[in-house]
Amino acid sequence: MTATIAVQSAARNDVGLIPKVSEGPALLAGITQGPGLASHRDRLGPAPRPRAEALVEMARDVDLRGRGGAGFPFAIKLAAAARRRALVVVNASEGEPASHKDATLMTCAPHVVLDGAAAVAHALGTREVHIVVPSELPSLRLIVEKALRERAKAGERLKVELHDAQPWFVAGQAQAVLQLLAGRENLPVTAWKPEAVSGHRGRPTLLSNAETFAHLGHLARVGSAGYAAHGTADEPGTTLLTLRGDGWDPEVCEVAFGTPLADVLSEAEMTQPLLLGGYHGTWLRPSQLSGLAVSRKDIAAAGASIGAGVLLPLAEGWCPLVRTAALVDYLAGQSAGRCGPCRNGLPAMAEALRGLVHRGGPAGRVEELCGLVTRRGACAHPDGTARLVASMLARFPDEVDSHALGTCRGNRREVFA
Amino acid sequence: MSEHLLRVDWPACKAHGVCAELLPEVISLDEWGYPIVHEPVNSDVLALAKTAVKACPTLALRLTQPPPRPA
Repeated sequence: MTATIAVQSAARNDVGLIPKVSEGPALLAGITQGPGLASHRDRLGPAPRPRAEALVEMARDVDLRGRGGAGFPFAIKLAAAARRRALVVVNASEGEPASHKDATLMTCAPHVVLDGAAAVAHALGTREVHIVVPSELPSLRLIVEKALRERAKAGERLKVELHDAQPWFVAGQAQAVLQLLAGRENLPVTAWKPEAVSGHRGRPTLLSNAETFAHLGHLARVGSAGYAAHGTADEPGTTLLTLRGDGWDPEVCEVAFGTPLADVLSEAEMTQPLLLGGYHGTWLRPSQLSGLAVSRKDIAAAGASIGAGVLLPLAEGWCPLVRTAALVDYLAGQSAGRCGPCRNGLPAMAEALRGLVHRGGPAGRVEELCGLVTRRGACAHPDGTARLVASMLARFPDEVDSHALGTCRGNRREVFA
Repeated sequence: MSEHLLRVDWPACKAHGVCAELLPEVISLDEWGYPIVHEPVNSDVLALAKTAVKACPTLALRLTQPPPRPA
């Protein structure tokens, strides 16, 4: 599965490092042949155009979930959109600095995503497709534009509009994306109705993550039985993962559900704490990792969520408390500042965590703030931050104690001789 | 149908605190002055809740029906 190949993604992390991409079993199967339409069609043939009911049924058969992080069942979303002739929005903007899978997918295999978007648009009876791309990766936009020109030349009659998402954490949130499409600031607002009912300019909208559309295109092509060629009976299919996305050797790969975590992470990483699901994710202790598989159910049983497939093993010699405090500092700075509990609560949480790092307490204040920000914002930014912090407190109480005693040996100033 | 939920439009709320004055049965204020909605609105306080919704200076409070359970 991990044949190292000379494929470059336009994705890069906040210090400009380009993730290594490995060929994958389904979505990333043809990336060595380049991102062009000709090789894509040679390999796979024309994209099928199933009716909405058939597409909903296939998505239900394989229990396809949205890949933006929330994991909402796609069949429900699609059925709701199909009843209302919704327009299509493909969200390819990852606000999270540690996630590169959508940017990698869009640049290495743009037609895999666009086939899915075209299939959904056809099923919904619309020609209107919006694609949201990250403004900090201009080369990604160029690749998508080229791919769209190729498709137009080949006779595809979709009206596609590109939109540049702002480079901040909450820009990819659904309501923030709808604001961007409407020409307003790319920040979250309160959602009174689901997008399928009232989305882009109040019209019914099917908004999903780029990877979700890629899976849908693949599903439309191979059917539910073909889709189940990878994965387990319980969880068919594959998922994209970003490994060490904010580190010095980021990597994007595609694995089948049920793949042991030990096949994805190195031996050394399996002995380290793992932040699973990204900056809004959940910490797991090293003892929880052995025997764990890349599986929504397994991971849920361990008290975590796969989120958007971001895996951040803690670097050796680091302390999970110090790492969490640094992440919360960052997340507090990424608050849009619109909702009072988030604008006030996240900086207070960062401050309380500094107290925990330096004095080991009081942990009660951190817990209190987690409760005060949860479900009290237009988007899930405060909730995700509280989840990260609460999981750190739950999994590493010994680490917090060691800070109270001043015995934590993590993040020491190293002397390199 | 008897129970209603109070929802806050968080970006609109500017922590005037009028809602907690009018409806202390259901709403208290956090340390920054933003409302904490403790429970659904029952019929006893429905009229007060409607007053609170109307009195909010930034129209940031709404009374909604609980969402129907997805089939």
